[in-house]
Amino acid sequence: MSRMSSRLVAALTLVALTAAPAFASEGEAQAPVNLLAPNGGLMFWTLLIFLVVFAVLAKFAFKPLMAAVEARELALESSLAQAKADRDAAAKLMADAQAALDASRREAQQLVADGRAAGEKLKGDLLEAGKTQQAELLERARRELNAEKERAIVELRREAVELAIKGAGKVIEKNLDDATNRQLVEGFLSTIGPR
Amino acid sequence: MPRLLARLAALLVFAVAATRPLTAQGAASPAAPAAERAPAAEPAHEGAAPQEGAHAAKEEHTDIITPHITDAHAIDVPTIFPPFVKEVELPRWAPVHVGSFEIDFSPTKHVVMLLLAALIVCTVLILVARSQARDHDQFGHAKGWAGGVEAMVLYLRNTVILPNVGPHGNAFVPFLLTLFFFILTANMLGLIPYGSTATGNISVTATLALITFVVVEVAGMRAQGMGYLNTIFFWPHDMSLGMRIPMFLIISPIEMVGKITRPFALAIRLFANMTAGHIVVLAFIGLIFFFKSYAIAGGPFVMAVAIMFLELFVAVLQAFVFTLLASVFIGQVRAAHH
Repeated sequence: MSRMSSRLVAALTLVALTAAPAFASEGEAQAPVNLLAPNGGLMFWTLLIFLVVFAVLAKFAFKPLMAAVEARELALESSLAQAKADRDAAAKLMADAQAALDASRREAQQLVADGRAAGEKLKGDLLEAGKTQQAELLERARRELNAEKERAIVELRREAVELAIKGAGKVIEKNLDDATNRQLVEGFLSTIGPR
Repeated sequence: MPRLLARLAALLVFAVAATRPLTAQGAASPAAPAAERAPAAEPAHEGAAPQEGAHAAKEEHTDIITPHITDAHAIDVPTIFPPFVKEVELPRWAPVHVGSFEIDFSPTKHVVMLLLAALIVCTVLILVARSQARDHDQFGHAKGWAGGVEAMVLYLRNTVILPNVGPHGNAFVPFLLTLFFFILTANMLGLIPYGSTATGNISVTATLALITFVVVEVAGMRAQGMGYLNTIFFWPHDMSLGMRIPMFLIISPIEMVGKITRPFALAIRLFANMTAGHIVVLAFIGLIFFFKSYAIAGGPFVMAVAIMFLELFVAVLQAFVFTLLASVFIGQVRAAHH
């Protein structure tokens, strides 16, 4: 509040002082004045003063002022352009990185899929091979077994024939000749064997 | 706020009490309110009653307004002794004869004010430019006072001058900014104590308007070459010759008058605005001395303060308007094609 009133006092003082010169000129002889009458001398001085002010200000005030302002505007524009370029570059880099990431992800997926497929195939192959081998082994064993059996049968038959012949020979040594006896026995044997 | 009101009320009571001795000689009843008695005092003053003496008779013819708004061959300088002002006579030189004209080149009050304005505006703006350059190197932008002036300059350049002047308007920026700051400073000098408004003198505003006129026309010539003649002489190419000649005779004078009107309007506008405000302020102050009453004094006093604030605004506004119109005129003549 006191600030306000002190401001008021200051303003009023100012007004009073502004008017002071006017009071001072009281009492001067007053002739009617024409406010619109131009004064050549004053016009000349105005022209001179204005031109000098213009020259001085243009050279020493506005030129550096504008230079600094324009430099700032230029810097602002260039930094804006730079920022835009940087942003574009960053976006491009980002896109590249994303693409690379996608590619590597696809590749990894491909690798995994490939590996799985290869594993499956290998497993299948191994199983198949095992089965075949097993079958072959079985087959071979069976074949060998059969061959052994054949041989054993043949052997047994021969043994039996010989034994029978020996036995019969012992029993009926003289009467009977070998060839007819053999025929007889073999004929008998064929009635009892699968042959 | 209530405290302020209370103070004002107390002041008013004091004022009414103080008017009693003054109004006692007004021969009105002492019980009547001071405000009603004041007009009663008026005829006594007007009629120069004999008991008021020679002092009142002399005061009656005092014109405080005319000396304040007109030029003089003396300047008012402040002193510490009452009435706190001293008139210093300026040197008088013999008039110079140029042809049939007689020109008095002696410096006047308004010349001194213009020189002062030139000095202030140059000092301030050069200091601003320096500090702005320093700040610019240091911080990248201007600070403080320089920043404020730079903002004004940039506002004028970017929103007033460049859009109005048109393409390649940068060449006109220093001239128009000089106009603005010079007129603004000269306007402001009229508002400070002991100051006088040089821009309230028709010679000054006419010269500024003439300079603007020359700049506008030269800008038109440079921008349009021979086409500039079309802004003076109306010569429509799309009409038959029978129409063209009467149109030329009728419209060309209008074009020429239009050209002359612009600087005329610039000069009168600035002169009238600056003069009118001072007349109003002094008229209000004059009311106080006219009524010789403390009770009446408050009203004109408050009004004078209010008008002073308005004058501050007008000082800025008229400088701005002058610059704006100069920009518009330059833009018009550069873009004109008839």
